[in-house]
Amino acid sequence: MLRKRKPLQSKSEVILRNIVLTFLVVYMIIFLIIPVMIAFVGSFHIWNPLNGTYKWTGLDNYIRMFQYPTFWLSMKNTVIFCAVVVFFRIVLGLALAYGITSKLIKHKTFFRTIFYMPTVTPLVAVAYVWKIMYNPQFGLINNLFGFDINWLYSSKFALPAVMLMTIWKDFGYAVILFMSGLLSIPSDYYEASNIDGANAWQTFRYITLPLLKPTMVFVVITSLISYLQAYVPVMVMTKGGPGTSTFLSSYLVYDQAFVKYNFGYASAIAFFILIFTAILTVFSFRLTGDSTSKKKKVRS
Amino acid sequence: MWRKMIAMCMTLSMLLTLTGCGNSKTASYKGVTDSQPDKGLEIMGDRVTYDPNHLVNDGKPVELEWWLWDAADLFGSIAREYEKIHPNVTIHIVNNPWDGFWTKLPLALQKGESGPTLFNVHNSYQHLLLTYMEPYDIDVNDLEADFFTAKSHEIDGKIYYCDFGIMTGTIYYNKDMWTKAGLTEKDIPKTWDEFREIAKNLTIFEGDEMVQAGFNYNGDFENLMQGVPYQYGNTIFDETGTIPSLTQDGQKKTAQMMLDFYEKDHVGDKDFGTDAAQSFGQGQSAMVYKWGHFYGYLKTNYPDINYGTFEIPTVDGKPFAYDRYNGEATPGINKNARPEQVEVAQDFIRFYLANQEKQKELCMNYSLFPANNALREDKDLQSNPAIQAVSEHIDRYIWPGAMPATLGDNLKIACQDMMYNGTSIEEALKTAEDIVKVDLSNQEFVASENLYDKYSERK
Repeated sequence: MLRKRKPLQSKSEVILRNIVLTFLVVYMIIFLIIPVMIAFVGSFHIWNPLNGTYKWTGLDNYIRMFQYPTFWLSMKNTVIFCAVVVFFRIVLGLALAYGITSKLIKHKTFFRTIFYMPTVTPLVAVAYVWKIMYNPQFGLINNLFGFDINWLYSSKFALPAVMLMTIWKDFGYAVILFMSGLLSIPSDYYEASNIDGANAWQTFRYITLPLLKPTMVFVVITSLISYLQAYVPVMVMTKGGPGTSTFLSSYLVYDQAFVKYNFGYASAIAFFILIFTAILTVFSFRLTGDSTSKKKKVRS
Repeated sequence: MWRKMIAMCMTLSMLLTLTGCGNSKTASYKGVTDSQPDKGLEIMGDRVTYDPNHLVNDGKPVELEWWLWDAADLFGSIAREYEKIHPNVTIHIVNNPWDGFWTKLPLALQKGESGPTLFNVHNSYQHLLLTYMEPYDIDVNDLEADFFTAKSHEIDGKIYYCDFGIMTGTIYYNKDMWTKAGLTEKDIPKTWDEFREIAKNLTIFEGDEMVQAGFNYNGDFENLMQGVPYQYGNTIFDETGTIPSLTQDGQKKTAQMMLDFYEKDHVGDKDFGTDAAQSFGQGQSAMVYKWGHFYGYLKTNYPDINYGTFEIPTVDGKPFAYDRYNGEATPGINKNARPEQVEVAQDFIRFYLANQEKQKELCMNYSLFPANNALREDKDLQSNPAIQAVSEHIDRYIWPGAMPATLGDNLKIACQDMMYNGTSIEEALKTAEDIVKVDLSNQEFVASENLYDKYSERK
């Protein structure tokens, strides 16, 4: 006599799962998909939801966007900002994580806490403190290093100054991720490389780095996505100035939507950024992760 | 079991969160009834009058909300005074921070009668609010007779709000530094050339390092650029009030003069701090150009600074206008509020406009020159240095209109480009002009410069 197989999930679990999923799907539809669709349609309109203006304008917002010099400047600034900040976040994060996980370092928890502290500090507060530190008259940076630079009012230094603050604020996040990545690498690999006579650099280059690739991909992609949307540091520290020197694309969207109330135009820029982010993300995946997936395919 | 309980708790909390977003207003308000029309009180006001001896809403209870972003106590005291006269009325003061006020308010007004009945107005946001506003039920001629700026707020023969006071720029100077430089009250400059010489006297260097700026306009360049060009007889907009021009002679000359103060005369420096207000408060700068609210700023932040004020210098002593001004406005009325609320709001506005005492308190609080003609010579107001400095030529100040944000923002960018990025005056102003033109082509904006009664004197 065959025994009736017990289902993998009980009926109540299925109901619970369905309820939770329904709520999540409804939440996503209401707070993400519908607003995105409204914004997309709005990008073809002269749109000010605050006084009810909503006039069809076709592709005018997109044409205006491509003709607007500040748009191209903000895109250029965004690319530079992302490239520099992501690069330093990874280099610093990896270097410090490697150092902390080394057998030579004691008090690992202390260092981990110290490096992670800026990450958990509110961004607005950090930006205000750095703004004071950059003051040309009494700021810590000029006084400490003997510079005479008006950091946030110089077209040469304002964007690097914002980038420096962002790197300081965010590198701790990468440290923690890389530490967990490093600690999850089985020690067998290192023992094997030791027996094979690999030196420290060779071990890092041929053992550690390849095995850290998934962590690296994660840090690069999440960093890119978040920095392409960055506008708070600019809003607090420079308001896009001097002139338009530190306009980032997301700050331009904020400025057009919530300062000038050109929601249609702002939506057009936001959509361009969305497409740009998607392309850049795919590109990053290809660049950092493709080889791993190809190898997997060959093996299978 | 535990899983089920957790799931139920989560579901309940989500539902509670969602219901929390709903309208929390209830119909539980009862209030009191007023049955005494004749209260034995005097009629207030000159041309716009208010007779308190009547019932509003037939004495039946009514409540309304009044949204504002500042001075809740002061505005609240006007509401309390009105409630004393009309005990059947309850006015709830809702104080929202400035940041976000101009997003919250129009969205609340879109909801019709559930939005606030009364709300404070700032003229730069007129374009967001006008659709939802009810015109004042007061004779426009009476309003214009009592309030000298009321005419500039007339739209198709109706007034939706007007100024209770106006603010403009003046020069604030440090009296101690002035005396130390051997200057007296007689040296107060009338022209920019005289001003330049005074500023030189007040500037102190230690070696190559500036330790005291004679004149500091860091952060105020764009404000000067919006006012000083009027002295040359230029207006920002053409006669139709729709086409802006930022590249006229007056604007170029003003920009050149300001840059020369720093680059040729060295009476200040773009890197001498980032904020003229702070620098003046810290006793590092002898003169700054600031608007009336700087009086309150100094009182709060730097009460020990010994300072005076004088009127902005002019090019030749005979300006088309000394500077621009901006008004602080009386409240607007939500046209979609319930009829009884609109009726009470109209009555309240009449009370507000006829109440000279309360207008005086407001002007004192914000250092505003009173828009009400009856308060022009008021001694208490004249004792305020920010008001006193502009009172002699107040009729020679121009209101450009409810300026859209794009103008100020792009002028600010142009000024920073000239000052910090080495962009030429022509290029910076032309770029700003081009962007402002495109931005304004999508808005139904008309400037009010042509309502200035000396408009025909422009060049």
